[in-house]
Amino acid sequence: MNMAWKEIVKNKVRFLILGSIIFLVSLLTFIISGLANGLSQDNASLIKDLPNGTFYMAEEVNNSFPLSRIDKPLLKEITEEHPEAVAFSIQMGFIHDESDQQQSIAFVAATDSSLFKQVNPGEIILDRSLTEKEIKIGDKLTNSQFAGTWGVKRFVDQKKYSHAPVAYISLEDYEAIYQTNTMQLVFIPGDDISQEYAGLHSFSKNDFLKSLPSYSAEQTSLNMIVWFLIVISGMLFAIFFYMMNVQKIDMYGILKAIGVKTSTLFQMMWTQMLVITCIALAISVMCSQLFAVLAPEGMPFHLTLSSVGKLAIIFVVIGLIGATLSGLQIKRIEPLQAIQQGGK
Amino acid sequence: MGLLVLEDVRKTFHNGELEEEILKGISLSLQPGEVTALVGASGSGKSTLLTIAAGLQSTSEGVVQFNGENLSAMKPEQVRKLRASQFGFVFQFAHLVPFLTVEEQLLVMLDVAEFKLRKAEKKEKVHQLLQLIDMGHRKHAYPSVLSGGEKQRVAIARAIIHEPKVLFADEPTASLDSKKSKEVMALIHDLTKRLNISTLMVTHDEEMLVYTDRFIRMMDGKIV
Ligand SMILES: Nc1ncnc2c1ncn2[C@@H]1O[C@H](COP(=O)(O)OP(=O)(O)O)[C@@H](O)[C@H]1O
Ligand SMILES: [Mg+2]
Repeated sequence: MNMAWKEIVKNKVRFLILGSIIFLVSLLTFIISGLANGLSQDNASLIKDLPNGTFYMAEEVNNSFPLSRIDKPLLKEITEEHPEAVAFSIQMGFIHDESDQQQSIAFVAATDSSLFKQVNPGEIILDRSLTEKEIKIGDKLTNSQFAGTWGVKRFVDQKKYSHAPVAYISLEDYEAIYQTNTMQLVFIPGDDISQEYAGLHSFSKNDFLKSLPSYSAEQTSLNMIVWFLIVISGMLFAIFFYMMNVQKIDMYGILKAIGVKTSTLFQMMWTQMLVITCIALAISVMCSQLFAVLAPEGMPFHLTLSSVGKLAIIFVVIGLIGATLSGLQIKRIEPLQAIQQGGK
Repeated sequence: MGLLVLEDVRKTFHNGELEEEILKGISLSLQPGEVTALVGASGSGKSTLLTIAAGLQSTSEGVVQFNGENLSAMKPEQVRKLRASQFGFVFQFAHLVPFLTVEEQLLVMLDVAEFKLRKAEKKEKVHQLLQLIDMGHRKHAYPSVLSGGEKQRVAIARAIIHEPKVLFADEPTASLDSKKSKEVMALIHDLTKRLNISTLMVTHDEEMLVYTDRFIRMMDGKIV
């Protein structure tokens, strides 16, 4: 006899309210998590999409890579030891398209490497988001610091830095704009690079991402909201079952007196919690996927099923903990108490 | 020798510094097919005695034996099993599960007692008992729509559906009017005979003694 389900059916409204709250809280969590993920892509997909490896910047710049300069002799030393190493620079800037519209972009120039798009002088490769600004292959682009023009060679997917589309240019053109041919950063792909170089500070990919000021600020605050929502949902379960249980203390006492196991009462509560949570989460997962499809163009939203799945599992675990904590009072109920209260 | 035997049972409660002996050496024996009533003034220890006999609390001294086995020597889980399969309980209030129908209340009890029957057989058993207590037509009703007397009849049915050996009833008619009380008492008496149960009942209403086979009067924790 499934008492848990019978109670849900008899008290539809109560459980429906709980389910709706869980649905709303989890949907909000999924959306914010999708937003956090989307923003992180938008802010640093250029870096995030690199393989695992080690980043190096000059030690004296205090983790602020735009000021970093990797000396030529040192770079030579590194590339002799690690031929796969790549030196690169990122500079925020502007380009003007054929109708003289100004677009904010991130110039990226790199030494010869398959990890960065290679272009010849006078050529430029752009992030695909610029196609929405009416820029086409073959268009001629200019920059106020640059005497020549760039012909748009092609577009690439999802290459963003600091919320701006990336523009790959040649080392020669980079030097023409910024009057330097020393690069800011060196990247050595590979999981087990732990080498240190005098005068350089090394970062893992994650540490490097964290050193980008806006990146960690964005991610920390959004992730904090996600965790708050998860904790809130756990507390909701605790409070809900606490109130339900308080109303049923007499009944539990009687059930214990007639021989019902305490574990049966717990199972009843867990079953209800799981039924409500799973239904609410299933609907909210579907809605979040729908939202991913319907999200307005340009809204940085990126939510994979696997990250929703992970969050959903966390919701279930937290819900179980919440329900169990408030269920501990069931354990303490003495059958006698209920009978004697009834007798008075 | 009865099925349930109490020998020189004593119970002392400690209220801070104060020690109070509530039961002062009670011996009694319950016989199958008999309703034994416990009467006496409020506070004389009737409920305490009943709950001790039912294994819901322990004795301070003395023994409670069911079928020759000492309850205080059993593990809590064994006592629970005993209560679930061999004992039935009726209290002043019916304490039915609010979200179960009359039929489901009884089916749950069969599950609790781990009654080995197929679902259809369980339903048939429930049906027959409900017919017997004249509640067949209320099978699918929820407790909230039953009258006080009807609820108590369902509680009695729940207490005996699993064919217990002993029925414990603590003032089962205290919340009912006189007419309903008599009906409920007659029902308990009738079922005790029919199913050969040993019934121990607390009542403060001496009018009800006509429905019992013998009565034990208590005063200040002693039988008088
Ligand atoms: N758990 C307990 N702790 C302390 N005193 C108790 C406890 N249970 C019962 N008593 C006391 O024992 C006495 C007898 O109670 P009870 O058995 O309920 O009497 P009756 O059912 O005859 O009215 C009362 O004075 C009551 O206050
Ligand atoms: Mg009493």
